[in-house]
Amino acid sequence: MSILANKDTRVVIQGGAAGVNAARRMAEFCYLVKRPLNVEAFVYPPDAGKTNEIPYGSGLIAIPIYKTIAEATKNHPTINTSLVYIGADRAMKGGMEALDDSHIKVVSMITEGVPEKDAKLLGAHARKLGKVFNGPSSIGIISAGACRLGVIGGAFDNLVLSKLYREGSFGVITKSGGLSNEIIWICSQFADGITTAIGIGGDAYPGTDYVSYLEMFENDQQTKAVVIVGEMGGDLEERAAEWYGAKKRRVKLIGVVSGFCQESLPKGMKFGHAGAKEGMKGEGSARSKSDALKKSGAIVPPTFGALGPAIKDAYQELLKSGQVKEPVEPAVLPRLPKSIEEAMKADEVMVAPLIRTTISDDRGDEPCYDGYPASELINKGYEIPHVIGLLWDKRLISKQEAEIIKRIMMLSADHGPCVSGAYATILAACAGIGLSQAVAAGLIMIGPRFGGAVTDAGRWFKYAVDNKMNVDEFLAYMKKNVGPVPGIGHRVKSLRNPDKRVKELVGYVKSLNIKTPCLDFALQVEQVTAVKKDNLILNVDGTMAAVLVDLGFPVDSLNGFFILSRTIGLIGHWVDQKRQDSRLIRLFDYLVNYAAPKRREVPPLK
Amino acid sequence: MAKVLEGPGMGLMKKWGIHVPHYVVVTSADELSKLGQVNDWMKQTKLVAKAHEALGSRFKLGLVKVGLDLNGAVAATKEMIGRQVGSITVSQVIISEMVPHKEEYYCAVKSTREGAEILVANCGGIEVESNWERVKRLCLDVGQTPSPEQLEKLAKDAGFTGSVAKRMTDFAGKMFTCFDSEDAQYLEVNPVVTRESDGELVALDAVTLLDGDAKFRHPDWNFQFAAEFGRAYSKDEVEVMAVDSKIKGSVKFIEIPGGDTAMLPAGGGASVYYSDAVVARGGKLANYAEYSGDPPDWAVEVLTEKVCSLPGIKNIIVGGAIANFTDVKKTFGGIINGFRKAKGGGKLKGVKIWVRRGGPREKEGLDAMRLLKDEGFDIHVFDRNTPLTDIVDKALQK
Repeated sequence: MSILANKDTRVVIQGGAAGVNAARRMAEFCYLVKRPLNVEAFVYPPDAGKTNEIPYGSGLIAIPIYKTIAEATKNHPTINTSLVYIGADRAMKGGMEALDDSHIKVVSMITEGVPEKDAKLLGAHARKLGKVFNGPSSIGIISAGACRLGVIGGAFDNLVLSKLYREGSFGVITKSGGLSNEIIWICSQFADGITTAIGIGGDAYPGTDYVSYLEMFENDQQTKAVVIVGEMGGDLEERAAEWYGAKKRRVKLIGVVSGFCQESLPKGMKFGHAGAKEGMKGEGSARSKSDALKKSGAIVPPTFGALGPAIKDAYQELLKSGQVKEPVEPAVLPRLPKSIEEAMKADEVMVAPLIRTTISDDRGDEPCYDGYPASELINKGYEIPHVIGLLWDKRLISKQEAEIIKRIMMLSADHGPCVSGAYATILAACAGIGLSQAVAAGLIMIGPRFGGAVTDAGRWFKYAVDNKMNVDEFLAYMKKNVGPVPGIGHRVKSLRNPDKRVKELVGYVKSLNIKTPCLDFALQVEQVTAVKKDNLILNVDGTMAAVLVDLGFPVDSLNGFFILSRTIGLIGHWVDQKRQDSRLIRLFDYLVNYAAPKRREVPPLK
Repeated sequence: MAKVLEGPGMGLMKKWGIHVPHYVVVTSADELSKLGQVNDWMKQTKLVAKAHEALGSRFKLGLVKVGLDLNGAVAATKEMIGRQVGSITVSQVIISEMVPHKEEYYCAVKSTREGAEILVANCGGIEVESNWERVKRLCLDVGQTPSPEQLEKLAKDAGFTGSVAKRMTDFAGKMFTCFDSEDAQYLEVNPVVTRESDGELVALDAVTLLDGDAKFRHPDWNFQFAAEFGRAYSKDEVEVMAVDSKIKGSVKFIEIPGGDTAMLPAGGGASVYYSDAVVARGGKLANYAEYSGDPPDWAVEVLTEKVCSLPGIKNIIVGGAIANFTDVKKTFGGIINGFRKAKGGGKLKGVKIWVRRGGPREKEGLDAMRLLKDEGFDIHVFDRNTPLTDIVDKALQK
């Protein structure tokens, strides 16, 4: 058996993230003891109507969230216990709401920093109703093999190590949350483990104190001894001693008290929990508590370190007298399923990757491009074109190549508002569309007729050069198999009105004295085509394409140079329209040639 | 519990209708001179000047001067401001009116497990301390308000008669209202005196302890709480408090000059057992510290740096029980960073570090600590199988 928390305990948790975390821990325990999750509902008004997903084994359980305790208990009438994880300023209201619900018999408050008066009011209200109010500042309550309320007991491994999957013979009551686990662990190593462990909280006036719980343990036949871990301050330990000494008790009482260091500290200096303070007239010192416990007949080890052996002695006595039997450990215990990450770390599973990348990795403290840390590239003087080289062609390009790319980008960044891309972006901007969508609208225009000829131009110039074609052979091949030569021809520019951008780029590349077979070939092609028709000149797409192929960039990346450069312009256009607060554009009727049929009657539907 | 200095303490009593002497809190003699020009009472009555700091035995230290006129008070203020007493520099002086009186009484309200009790005695000052049996009590359950009849009976039981009994009934009622409304944990007025001019009961000296946790519902608590151990907080203590107020979980740090065993344990409960173990072993604590509630690693790092900066330390106890939810690896990460910084700054020479801990990710955390050995730290790491305070025994073995 156990006290307070057992197999029939059904829980509502009041609160948000901390409560969800507690539910997860409680689900781990339920899984260990092979019982269904004991959390029925949450009460958290901001998320009312939703659910919290609580992992249980390898699955997830959806637990509903309600606005009020009344709604929760109406929908889940088996609820009999509430855990309060609400902030200190609203904790009392939440605690009262739970106490006032007829379904709820036990309320345990985890909240720390609750005003003393509020805690007293909650405690008094619970006593009046004949219910239990545990806390505030309680780490929780755990009954081995049966029920866990809160995070008490710690991680799953610790639950197993501390043998919390089955009942022992020792009750535990502590003020300290951290020490509760320590005592549970000690009881499992020096004796047969615990029945129930209760964190009553370290405040000056816990809602329920040692004596009430000692009574309950005394009435629980499975509990043969109780360990209490006290602190200086208040009179709770003295009252426990008084209870123990009042008459012959069935349970053994083992107690330690902290705060002896106080005797050798500067006056007024106090440590530890809120309740750990000496009284006005020296009452409540560790020594007076320890003496009171000893006098009552309790076992009082001189130090915390001596607690383990004292528990062992008590257990051996219980064994000898036949009051307890050596426990039988289960052969197999459930193991908590590992997350994929944990299992992979332990080399236990192999997962087929979904995608593969060969260019970049940001799992460290900064991104690495093709293996090079971004900050190192910056600090060693590399620039944007080098990053393009790394991410598009997986190589660290030279300073000269970077300069060419930079010039290409600067020349292609924008071409005024009238071209398809910019116009689309402007149209979108004027319709109130956001930046990324408006820029995307502009980018969508890039294709065979606008800006999207770079890749194709590069492909065919490269094809000619690779196959050692002369210009005539090339033009014949293109005419037969492809159509107009990509990269040749301009809407407005011509031999007489040359494209300054082309002149600039060709001039610069030529001045470098590097090998440019594609560019040379493209210029030869222009010599022939421009004679046929004035505007069949090498255009900026064709020039870029030839140069970039000469630099060794993969053909498939070439359109990217235009897309990237032009994005600069498109963003500019969007911001520009935004800044002007431009109005919605509607086409004027006179700009449309209405060639649709005249208005006519709709025939009846057949 | 949060201690409040006399000035704000009297302010709270005044707010609830308790008569207090006229008073001002000043930070310079000039300020007092100016106030003297606009406040008639300063010229009409004798004055008391007291250093307005959390200091014990102010009388002995010459930080209380009585029977002054305004010029005398200005001179006394000049003398007191800037006085250094231990780690405290006097920065404020409270000047109050002397209330001529013959009789002195006692009244207090104190928090109890059940609620509160009102204490009344018809003697005051040091007389009440040596005649404690003359103090009469009225115990109240939480949520209960004393009735006029109960208060009257209390006053009469304490030996008050006639009009003073009536006035004490009223005074004690107001004390309780103040206590209850202000989330106080302790209010004491000693002495309560009968003002000769009008026969009213006046609170001459007040001890006020408030519940710091209730600050959220008292927006008018615009005063600072005073350190409770007779000295000002040190710079490092204040820094750790500032971190503590910002984070989830907590970090605590109090220096104890002259010690050689530095403490860096986890948990409000375990930390005191560790301190006890040090004292039991004959060690001298250099500090108290504690971190709990899964604080962020940077907060633990700050705490660690402060602990490593304590002068003359020989051992650092990085103890802790088996945590419920504090991530051992993460918090130890903060401690390790703090250790590295301290070592990089030339500290920790010849200092032994002792570690014991359990809890979520204990293995990873303890392994990381063990690796510090390779960096030249004199570190000894133990897991849950070593009982809690055994590292203290090992550290302090002669």
